[in-house]
Amino acid sequence: MDLATHQRKLLGLFRSNYEVRQDDDAYIQRIARSKDLEEARGNIFLWRVWVLERTAPLTFNLLKRRHLLQETVCAFIKGHNISPFRETQAPAFLGALSGHHDSLTASVARFELALLKVKQGDPGFYVVRWEVEPHTILNSLARNLPLEDKIPEGAYEVHISRELPSQFQIVRVHGEGGPSLRDIEMDTEERMRKYPECRQDWPS
Amino acid sequence: MLVQTALSPTKFDKNASTFVAIGATYEGRDFDLLERMLPLVDYIEVTPETIAEVHDHEITLSDEVMTELKNIGKARQIVVHGVGLSIGSHEGWSPTYFRLLDDLLEQVDVAWHSEHLGYTKVDDQHLGIMLAMPKTEEVLDMVCERVNKIQQRYNLPFLLENIVHVIPDFPGDFSEARFLNALVDRTGCGLILDVYNLQCDAHNHGFDIPRFLNELQLTNVRELHVACGVEHNGFLLDVHSQLTRSSTVQLAQDVVRRSEGSAEVVVYEFMPEAVPGMGRDAIAEELGRLRVAFRN
Repeated sequence: MDLATHQRKLLGLFRSNYEVRQDDDAYIQRIARSKDLEEARGNIFLWRVWVLERTAPLTFNLLKRRHLLQETVCAFIKGHNISPFRETQAPAFLGALSGHHDSLTASVARFELALLKVKQGDPGFYVVRWEVEPHTILNSLARNLPLEDKIPEGAYEVHISRELPSQFQIVRVHGEGGPSLRDIEMDTEERMRKYPECRQDWPS
Repeated sequence: MLVQTALSPTKFDKNASTFVAIGATYEGRDFDLLERMLPLVDYIEVTPETIAEVHDHEITLSDEVMTELKNIGKARQIVVHGVGLSIGSHEGWSPTYFRLLDDLLEQVDVAWHSEHLGYTKVDDQHLGIMLAMPKTEEVLDMVCERVNKIQQRYNLPFLLENIVHVIPDFPGDFSEARFLNALVDRTGCGLILDVYNLQCDAHNHGFDIPRFLNELQLTNVRELHVACGVEHNGFLLDVHSQLTRSSTVQLAQDVVRRSEGSAEVVVYEFMPEAVPGMGRDAIAEELGRLRVAFRN
């Protein structure tokens, strides 16, 4: 038994990316067929879920309510080398979801990641664009309430910075009662001048 | 042999058969929980990885939690129990773990430090779970060499814990107990015996606990862990999310009796994620029950 080979094959089995071969030893073949392996993969999923439920609650609740949690977390586990350090898991997860094909999921993940960063002292000024009204959704997710069936559509931005009261503010980009897109951009440019370290991580 | 530390805040009556100190896990930032636990415990177990934060892409210990630990250390003993060393990885252990441990030991006095007899990464790819190594001569040599290096690096007792087997054990050269006995004989390290892990292995894989305990040199056991998880799909899970079962406490009492005074502390382990579900009062009551079970 070569330890390196043994451990690499088990890693592959746990990540579901190793196909057992006929010349593999009897132990590897036995594990590959075992219910234990299936259950252990489920344990890994549960560990991730418990950590993310606590460290990324908004995105976690959104995925749960949209019945996307299992699929999304499983894809994350399979596709990422997830550090055992708990505090790194939420940023990695939220970063991965920031490019999600569903625009609401991407917006919530970007918002939560930016908020996490500024809470940890990041001096950046972040802008996250939304295609629906954010307040209703964020309120529901933060309070773990059901999402409303009909969420008002519109172009919004959520600004996140440690300089803001409550560390973020919601701005309607255009439409009745809101500033124009130009106003927002000027406001953003002003902040960028004031805080040269500021940055926008996500293009519109 | 272990260097005996004489820092215990309470005197232990070695003549009493199950008289040991009580400890609990604590990961910081939960003063309500800490306030309830402190009157009931002699030791606080801390895990460097769970009190670490990420700043500018670097993993460091939380200043906030370290301040808490310094205060706790004035009243109670602290023991360090890592999870990320990965002593059994073929390519070597995690250097990040040692950096955190160095930093922690510089700031806080600890009675001893410990890790798990397992591995969590392969070629620096994280498994997401901890696996047991094959109990072979090759692996025993590798682990002994690493334990010796750890003991040379730190002037503190070092303990290793039996882990739960999430998959059946590889048929190696040693039984579980004989491997642990040989490890201690060759290195002088101590053992943590997690009796709930034994129960999980018995439930999930038919592990023979009485035979294991008869074979294990129980005087090498310095610390015991008790915990409880849930049953799922017929498997008993090592998730540390419940109050202990009476059978777990009885098993721990049996080991303490047979350890001839070497066992010094029983630590109740639970995850911070489980605290809201279990309740802080219930955790305190659990520690009170353990205190009665092991301090009378």
